[in-house]
Amino acid sequence: MSKKVKKRLITILLSSLVLIIATLLITMNLKDNIIYFYSPTELQGASIDKKNIIRVGGLVKEDSYEYNDKTKIYSFIITDNSNDVDVEFVGIMPNLFAENKGVVVEGLAIDKKKITAIKVLAKHDENYMPPEVIDALKKEGQWQEK
Amino acid sequence: MNLGNVGNILMLVCLLASLIQSTQLLPKKIDIDYKIFSRLPFYSSLLAFILLIYIFVDSNFNYQLVVNNSHSEKPLIYKIAGAWGNHEGSLLLWILVLTIFNFMFSYSKIEHTDFKKNVTAFQSLMIFGFTLFLLLTSNPFTPTETFVSEGLGLNPVLQDLLLAIHPPILYVGYVGYSLVLSFAIGGMITNKVDKEWAEWLHPWVLTAWIFLTLGIGLGSFWAYYELGWGGYWFWDPVENASLMPWLAGTALFHCVIILKKKNILQSWTILLSILTFSLSLIGTFLVRSGILNSVHTFASDPARGLFILIFLAIILIISFTLYAFKGPLLDNKSEMSLVSKESSILANNWLLLSTLFVVFLGTLYPLGTDLFLQKSTSVGPNYYILSLLPITVLLLFFMIIGPNAKWQSDKISNIILSTNKLFILSLAIIFGFSIYFDELHLTQITLLTLCLTLILVSIKDGLRVNHNYTIIKPSLGKSLAHIGFGLLILSVVANATFAQEKIFQAKVNDILILDDQKFRFDSVEQNKGKNYNSIIATFHLMDNKTILETFKPEIRVYSNPPTVTSETSIIRKFLTDIYVVMNIPENSDFVNVRIHIKPLISFIWLSIILMVIGGMSAIVFRVKLKK
Repeated sequence: MSKKVKKRLITILLSSLVLIIATLLITMNLKDNIIYFYSPTELQGASIDKKNIIRVGGLVKEDSYEYNDKTKIYSFIITDNSNDVDVEFVGIMPNLFAENKGVVVEGLAIDKKKITAIKVLAKHDENYMPPEVIDALKKEGQWQEK
Repeated sequence: MNLGNVGNILMLVCLLASLIQSTQLLPKKIDIDYKIFSRLPFYSSLLAFILLIYIFVDSNFNYQLVVNNSHSEKPLIYKIAGAWGNHEGSLLLWILVLTIFNFMFSYSKIEHTDFKKNVTAFQSLMIFGFTLFLLLTSNPFTPTETFVSEGLGLNPVLQDLLLAIHPPILYVGYVGYSLVLSFAIGGMITNKVDKEWAEWLHPWVLTAWIFLTLGIGLGSFWAYYELGWGGYWFWDPVENASLMPWLAGTALFHCVIILKKKNILQSWTILLSILTFSLSLIGTFLVRSGILNSVHTFASDPARGLFILIFLAIILIISFTLYAFKGPLLDNKSEMSLVSKESSILANNWLLLSTLFVVFLGTLYPLGTDLFLQKSTSVGPNYYILSLLPITVLLLFFMIIGPNAKWQSDKISNIILSTNKLFILSLAIIFGFSIYFDELHLTQITLLTLCLTLILVSIKDGLRVNHNYTIIKPSLGKSLAHIGFGLLILSVVANATFAQEKIFQAKVNDILILDDQKFRFDSVEQNKGKNYNSIIATFHLMDNKTILETFKPEIRVYSNPPTVTSETSIIRKFLTDIYVVMNIPENSDFVNVRIHIKPLISFIWLSIILMVIGGMSAIVFRVKLKK
């Protein structure tokens, strides 16, 4: 092997090694940071790691929205009309949060019926429905096209 | 005469003229004056665009687009901006920008006529494609079917002066790279990818980069004050969509500089040109098709996304077929020394592309799980932060040593000698800061030291004067842009480290305390705006009994379309921003207030301005090749 070829071979081998390691690290990192979305029904069947952040979406159940003045905790129930999930949240509620409207929360599951929300995701206007919520309702046969 | 028909005729002229001009790509050329046919589409699409603005200003509800996106009570400026604040209008704008670049290029003083013909022809082919798409699926001049007396209005979140000028600027950036692709195609067809080609391309590739940089900066600035979440970058798909062509475009123009100087890396430059415009198209596809969820909602339609995908496929097939034949012949066979300016630029090329890979994967991964696993997911910001951290460290490192290395080959010891003093100085400053003020982590110390070194090295390198005490101009642009980049990372890291926020449930006369600063909640009043009702709260930042600053966060209730928005109140100071946003929960007797103290935010905007000015001075003072 000539010197030139040898040099080139080493360069190629080294750079592919770096590339493989980098790709592995990035994909592992990606795996740790994926946030899965569940409808209340899906959450019942899913295996949940309590350390991982998840999203849950559906409708805010009627008469479920409460605020505790002492603990400063908001609580409400997300439903897809088949299953319910209790939500507790400390923070700022988005402007358009209302009962019987779509909502998506991001947080940690305490168990399959309860989640502590870190974020309640904002909606843009009254008619907007998060696409995941539409899908979740469709799966449960609860979605009506207007 | 019916205005809509005039618009349709204008776009037909644009379609036909660009089709005729694109025949110049064929080996057997028809004998036409390429100047006429590459300029005509510009005039006709400009007139069509003006016409569209006119029917918006006139609130002419005979047109479906005006009905869907405007309202007679809307302020004039938003009527005008409404013309491109929707899919059809923005497509017309996209076409207009395509033709502007073709128009301006046709006036350039390049003497290689065959090359010019091919470039304008390929650009015309793209104009043809998009105009066809406009006429077939998204005609802005479609009349309404029934009589309508009032419009539906424009989304209030989008009723913002900055957002009105933001898309045109971003589009000039995106579409500017179309001309770069045309350069690549024209260069391959005429076998003209060399130093001279790079010299011709240099101002164009920088122009696109400047506008894209400015566009991303404005978008971020808008998100900061309008969305009211206190952040300026959310790793949102729409933001990522504009970042991806920026990363490829940054790698590209550095290669153009090497090519111009050393006549190497021809095929790599061509590949980057193809990649950059493809990413611009993918960016548009992601935003317009609505396949990804975003905090920035846009009118979306899968069919439109499909067209952009088909268009992208055609462009890629043409480009790569040509590249397969011509690519291997382009390169000058010459060895590159491992320690040299060009090798460190190339190293940064790879780092920029790695960043691109990270962003690309994070943006498209949710799409993959949605399509193949029927599982809805999203990617958290930690993925980006952790993955990009090591890349950024290396990127900064090469930006420090690169400009100090000589072309062709250099000794490592020389480079270390020229940068080590400033590095030690920076390290001492950051260490001192860490000891006396706040304790910093190792990663923060590393990043901040490298940023500071980069800034100092770039100042020393670029703001040089010669013996007549005049600034040495050619390196000025590079240095300003590099100072800007160093400052950007520095401010981002500092902001992430020292930002504070707290949420309060407040009633009138409450005192809210954050970071030893006292905010008094003074009053709430109702107000009537032009096309909304609002609730305005007043907060005072107090020092004992004296009022230092007044904050007036606001909640607006729009009726057309019905929407509620929170308007932030921000006091900008040189070193920190204080940011107040509130809303009122249903059936409650208090307001929710969130106060942020955000250091160095102004420096983020300043750093983007520095990069833009750097880009501009790099165009104005660019070195001309000796003939």
